[in-house]
Amino acid sequence: MNVRKTVTVVEEVRVEGERAVSPPATVAVVAAVIRNPWAGQGFVEDLGPGIDANASDLGALLAPAVLEELGAPAEAYGKAAIVGLDGEIEHGSALIHTLAFGDHFRKAADATTLLPAVEKRGAAGIVFDIPLKHVTDATIRSHHQTVEVRIADAPHPEEIVIALAAAAQGRPQQRLAAFSTERDPSA
Amino acid sequence: MQEIGGAPSVEPVRVRKLVTYREAIVTEAGLAPDRPARRASVAAVVGNPWSGTAPLTDLAEEQERIGPVLAGLLCDRLVNALGPVHGIEAFGKAAVVGTAGEIEHAGALIHTPYFGNLVREALHGESIICFADTRAEAGESLVVPLWHKTHAATRSHYQTISARVPDAPRADEIVVIAAASTGPRPHPRIGDRRTDPVVTAETLEGTPS
Repeated sequence: MNVRKTVTVVEEVRVEGERAVSPPATVAVVAAVIRNPWAGQGFVEDLGPGIDANASDLGALLAPAVLEELGAPAEAYGKAAIVGLDGEIEHGSALIHTLAFGDHFRKAADATTLLPAVEKRGAAGIVFDIPLKHVTDATIRSHHQTVEVRIADAPHPEEIVIALAAAAQGRPQQRLAAFSTERDPSA
Repeated sequence: MQEIGGAPSVEPVRVRKLVTYREAIVTEAGLAPDRPARRASVAAVVGNPWSGTAPLTDLAEEQERIGPVLAGLLCDRLVNALGPVHGIEAFGKAAVVGTAGEIEHAGALIHTPYFGNLVREALHGESIICFADTRAEAGESLVVPLWHKTHAATRSHYQTISARVPDAPRADEIVVIAAASTGPRPHPRIGDRRTDPVVTAETLEGTPS
C-alpha cells in the first residue's frame, strides 16, 4: 500500500429546512490516495495478489480513522473507490468489494449490513457521492443519505482514492414513514 | 434556530453548516517529506446579513456581530483538526458570497478586525492573513492561499488548500473559510529572499530567453 496522502472531511449540519438540527447532524469521510497496485502492468487477469497485499491494510487504516473523526457511534456508513484515468473500475472494486476491506469497518462500527458503495473512474478533482445506509438494517429509510467529496489533486491517472464514510444519525429533519408501514400502492 | 455566542441583546448568528477538510501528506513525488505537513480548511455557511438591503448599506454593525462568532468557530475546529496551536505555522482565509450578494459582503466578513484580528490571535500569528474571495454558485471550489503566520515572506510556506461546500453558498448566503498548515510545502527547495541572487532586467541582459 503506497499512500500519497490522506484526506478527512467532517460535515456538521446545524440548520436544515430553516429549522435547527440539534445536535448537529455529523458525517465524516476519510480517504487514502494510493498508487494503483496494478498501474503500468497492462491487463492483469488475477487481481488476487494485489487485493491480498492492499485491501485489508486499507480497511485497517481507514475504519478506525473515520470513526474517530465522527466522534460518535456510526449509525450509517458507506465506501468509495475512485480510480484514476489509466486504471480499470475493476481495480477500485477489487480493493473495496472484499470482506478483507469491509470487515474492518463492520467490526469497528458493530455493523452487519453490506456497505453501499460508489466506484467510478475520473480525473483529479472529480466530485463523487458516497451513499450511506444504516449499519444494521439497510431498509431503515431515515438513514439513506449521501455525502459529497472532492480532492482537488486526486486521483492522478495511476492512483485510486479509497474512502470510508460514517454518519452519526440519519438525514437531518428525516420524517418519512418507515418502509414497513407504507401502504402497497397497488392495493 | 441555532444560537451561538453573542450578548443576550444581540441576534444570534445562524450557521447552517460547517465543513472541515484536512489532508496529511504522506509522500510527494514518491518520497516522504522531511516535515510532513497537515493542512486544513474549515468553512462556515451563514446567511448573508445584507441580503435584500439597499446599495451602499453600512456594513459595520453586522460585521461586528458576525465576525467574532465565525472566527471562534472556525479557529476552534482548525486547532482541533491540526493539533496544538503552536504547531500551526501558516494560515489563510477566504469567503464566497452567493450570487444575490456583493463581493463587498464577502470582504466585510473576513477583512475587518472583527474576524482577522481574532483569527490571528487564536492561531498565535502576527502576519497579515492572506486571502481569496469570490462570488459564486453553490459548489464552487476556492483555492485558499496560506503563508507563514509570523514571517509572511517565508517562501517555503507559500501553499494553498482547496475548499468547497457542495450546497453552499445559496444566492443569499456567504461561506466564510479559515485555513492553516502545520508546515511547509513538501520538499521545499526554491530558496528564500536571503539566498536569492540579485535579479533585475539589467542582470539578466544577455541571458538567452
